[in-house]
Amino acid sequence: MIKRVEVNYRGIFQKTLGKYIGGDIVQIASRMGKVAFSNGRYSDSPERNGIPCKYFAFVSPDLSEEELEAECGAKLDIDEADVSVVVDDTMVKGVEPWGWHGVRAINEKLREKGCLLVTSQHSHDQLLTFIPKQPFSWRLATVEGPASLAGLWVYKDDLTRERVLGALAAVDPGIISIEAVESYLLEKTKDKHRAEAARASYDATLRNMRVVKAGEGAEWHHEIPRLPTWKEFESGGVVVPAVPRGFTMGPRGQSRNERFLRGTTKSHRPVVRFDLCIKCTLCWYDCPDECFDPTDDGLYDVNYEVCVGCHKCAEVCPVPECIVMVDELKFDNNDSPWEHHKRDPQGYIKWAEEKKGLERIHYPHVTGTGMEIREGKFVPPKPDKGGPAAGAKA
Amino acid sequence: MATVAETTNVWANELLLNGCQAVAQGVKLANVDVIAAYPIRPYTEVMDQLSKLIADGEFDSEYIVADSEHSQFEIVKHASSVGARAFGGSSGTGWMYGFEALVVAATDRLPPLFVVGNRALDDPGAFGVEHNDALALRDMGWLLCWASTAQEALEHVLIGYRIAEDNRVLMPMALAMDGAFLTHSQHMIKVPTQEAVNTFLPPFNLGKRVLHPDNPVSIAPQVNEDWVMELRRQNWEAARRARTVIPEVYKSFNDLFGPRYANPFFDEFMCEDAEVVLVGLGAVAMPARTAVRRLREQGKKAGYVNLRWFRPFPTEQLRATLGRMKGVGIIDRNFAMGSPDNGGIVVQDIRSCLYPLTKRPVVTDFIGGLGGRDMSIADCVRMFEITFDAAAGQQRDELVTWIGLRE
Repeated sequence: MIKRVEVNYRGIFQKTLGKYIGGDIVQIASRMGKVAFSNGRYSDSPERNGIPCKYFAFVSPDLSEEELEAECGAKLDIDEADVSVVVDDTMVKGVEPWGWHGVRAINEKLREKGCLLVTSQHSHDQLLTFIPKQPFSWRLATVEGPASLAGLWVYKDDLTRERVLGALAAVDPGIISIEAVESYLLEKTKDKHRAEAARASYDATLRNMRVVKAGEGAEWHHEIPRLPTWKEFESGGVVVPAVPRGFTMGPRGQSRNERFLRGTTKSHRPVVRFDLCIKCTLCWYDCPDECFDPTDDGLYDVNYEVCVGCHKCAEVCPVPECIVMVDELKFDNNDSPWEHHKRDPQGYIKWAEEKKGLERIHYPHVTGTGMEIREGKFVPPKPDKGGPAAGAKA
Repeated sequence: MATVAETTNVWANELLLNGCQAVAQGVKLANVDVIAAYPIRPYTEVMDQLSKLIADGEFDSEYIVADSEHSQFEIVKHASSVGARAFGGSSGTGWMYGFEALVVAATDRLPPLFVVGNRALDDPGAFGVEHNDALALRDMGWLLCWASTAQEALEHVLIGYRIAEDNRVLMPMALAMDGAFLTHSQHMIKVPTQEAVNTFLPPFNLGKRVLHPDNPVSIAPQVNEDWVMELRRQNWEAARRARTVIPEVYKSFNDLFGPRYANPFFDEFMCEDAEVVLVGLGAVAMPARTAVRRLREQGKKAGYVNLRWFRPFPTEQLRATLGRMKGVGIIDRNFAMGSPDNGGIVVQDIRSCLYPLTKRPVVTDFIGGLGGRDMSIADCVRMFEITFDAAAGQQRDELVTWIGLRE
C-alpha cells in the first residue's frame, strides 16, 4: 500500500515550507517503521515568485524502498493524492505553474475519500464556491490561519509547518500518527510548544473535517492542454509566435501572449479606486507584467487574468487608498473593474470599499519578516473631478 | 569472516538527504581540500550544500566560486596538481562548456572527482535528466560511473576518490547521477562515521609529480608528434589497471561497511537463470527491477543489469553475463544522433563488446526518458516484451524503439 501526499505551495515564498513538510513526513513515517521518501515537482523550478508549485511525500507500511521508489520516484507528477495540502487557500481557484500546463483544478489529483487540507481563514462553504466538483465524494479540512508567506527563499517559522503535520495526522492517520508527530517535534526541536501546536491542530481538524458529496462544488471550465506529437510542430525547436507589440485603448487592449496568463500566481489583487486616481501613470509604467490597460478617459484598467499580485502598483501609487491589495479569495471573476466603474461609479466605490475592508496587509517579501497589518480608512470620492485629488499626499 | 560493520559501528547516523546533499556529505567525509563551484541545475544544490556545511562550521575546505565552468574545472585540475583532493561538478551544457579543462585533467593524469547531475543539452532550455552530458567523456580517459540511489552517490564519492587516487590509476573520476529523480529526491540516508571513512580512504599522495615550491617541476610542457602516442598508451594502461583496482576497492568497501556491492561493475538482478535482460544506467533501475519481479510472477525469465561503470567498460564481465542471454535490451537515456541504426551510445559499446562471441544474444535498443520524460514500470514491462519477442526471432521494422514519445 502506498500513501501519497502533495503539498501545493507558492513558489519561493513557501518553497522551504513545502520542502520541510515533505521531509518531516518522511522522517516521522520512518520513525514509525515505514518506508518513505519525498521530492518536489522538478519542472516547477526555477520557481518564480508566487507560482503554484508542488512537493510530494510517499509513504508505505509494506513495500521496500525500491518498490516504493519504482512506483512513485521516477515520475514528475503524482498519480493520485490521498491528501492534497494547500498552504495558501487562494490556490483553490486553480493552479497554472508554467506555460503548456494550463490552469488545473486544485483537487485534480485527489482520490475518492481523499482529503483536501487547506490553511485558510475562510469557511468550507466559501472555499467550495471555488473548488471544482468531482464525480466522487471527498473530504475538506482547514487549518485556520493566514497563508504563511515568507520572503525570498526565507522560511517563516510561524508554526504552520507543525500545524499542518498535526492536521495531516487527523485527516489520514495511515500516513503519520499524531503521537509520532509529537515525539518527532519534541525530539527534533526540544520545543514543547511545537508539539502542542500540532496536537491542537489535530484536535481542531478532527472537529472541522467535512465530507464533500459527489457533484458538490464549483463548475470547472479549463481544459487540460493537449501537447502536439513530434510530427505536429515545426522543426527547429519549440517556437512561440510573438504577439504584436503595443496596445489599443480600453479593457484587454494590451497585446499579450494568451498561452500563459499567470493569473493563478496571485494571493492578492489590486483594487483600484478610479475616482481617486490622479492619472500619474505609475501603476501602468511600473507593472512588470503589463497588466494595466490605458483607457480613453486617462485611467488604467486592470487585467486580472495576467496580474500576478506582486504589489508593485500599490507600492508606487502616490494616492492613499487608491490602489489596495486585497485577498484574492474575495473575488469570483476577472471582470474589468474599469467597466464596472463606468457603468456605476457610486456602486463601484461601494463595491471596492467592501472588498478592501479596513485591514491593509503588507508582505515585505524580500526580508521575510512576515506580514504586517495596518489600519486602512475610507476616502470619500473627489468632489471636483478636475481639481486635485482629495486624498493626494501633501 | 565477520565484516567490520558487524563488529563495530561504521554508520554515524541516518539523515534525510537528497542526492545532492548526499554527495555533499560524501565530499565532507572525504575531507576534500579544494572545491570549485559554478551553478547550473541540477548540480547547483551540491555546491549550495557544501557552502552551507562550511558556513555552519561543520567542514573546513577551500571553496572557490568561479566565473564559469571552464574556470571552475581549471581550478579543480590545478588544485589536484598541487596534491590537493579536489572536487567540482556541473550539469548539461555547463559541463560541455568546461570540456577543454576536463580533457586535460585526464591527459595530465590527475585524480579530482566531479559530480555530473545529468541534464539534457539545451536548446530549448531543459532541466530534465538525459545522459549525453556525462557520456561525452567516454573517449577522454576518465573514470565514469553512475549512482542509482542517493546512498550509492554518497558512497561513490568515497569509492571514486580511492580508485582515482590509486597510484596505479591516477585518472579523473566522474560520478553521474540522474537529475531530478536522484538529485532532488529526499531519502533517509545512512552516513558513515569519519573514522570508518578515514580507514577506507587514505590521504591523497601525488608523489614525485606534486607541484610545490619544495618540489619545483613543470607540468604539461609542449610535446609534439614525438610524445603523444606513448602518452595515450600510458592512459590506456591506467584504464586497464583500473579494471583490477576497482574490484579491490569494492572488496575493501564491502569488508568495512558490509556486503553492499556483489559485483563492482554492474548490479545483476535475477540474472542467474534469466533468458532476457534489460541493461540501463541510473535511476531507471527502480522501475526496471520492479518490472522484472512482475514478469517473474508470470513465469518469464527476466533480469536486469544496472550498469554502474561505463569507463573503464567492463568488457569481460559483461560478455560473461550478457553472453548467456537469448535477448538483451538496452535502455539508452541518451541519443547518438546519426549512429548506426540511430540508436543510443550505450548500445554501440555493448553490441561491439558482444560481437566476438560465437553465440550472441539478440540485442535491441530503446531510446527513452530523454529530457526527464518519465520511465514507468509499464514502460519497462513493454521494453521487456519487445526484447522477449526479438529474442524469439520476431523481426522488427526498426531496430531502435522510442519509449514514451508522443507520436
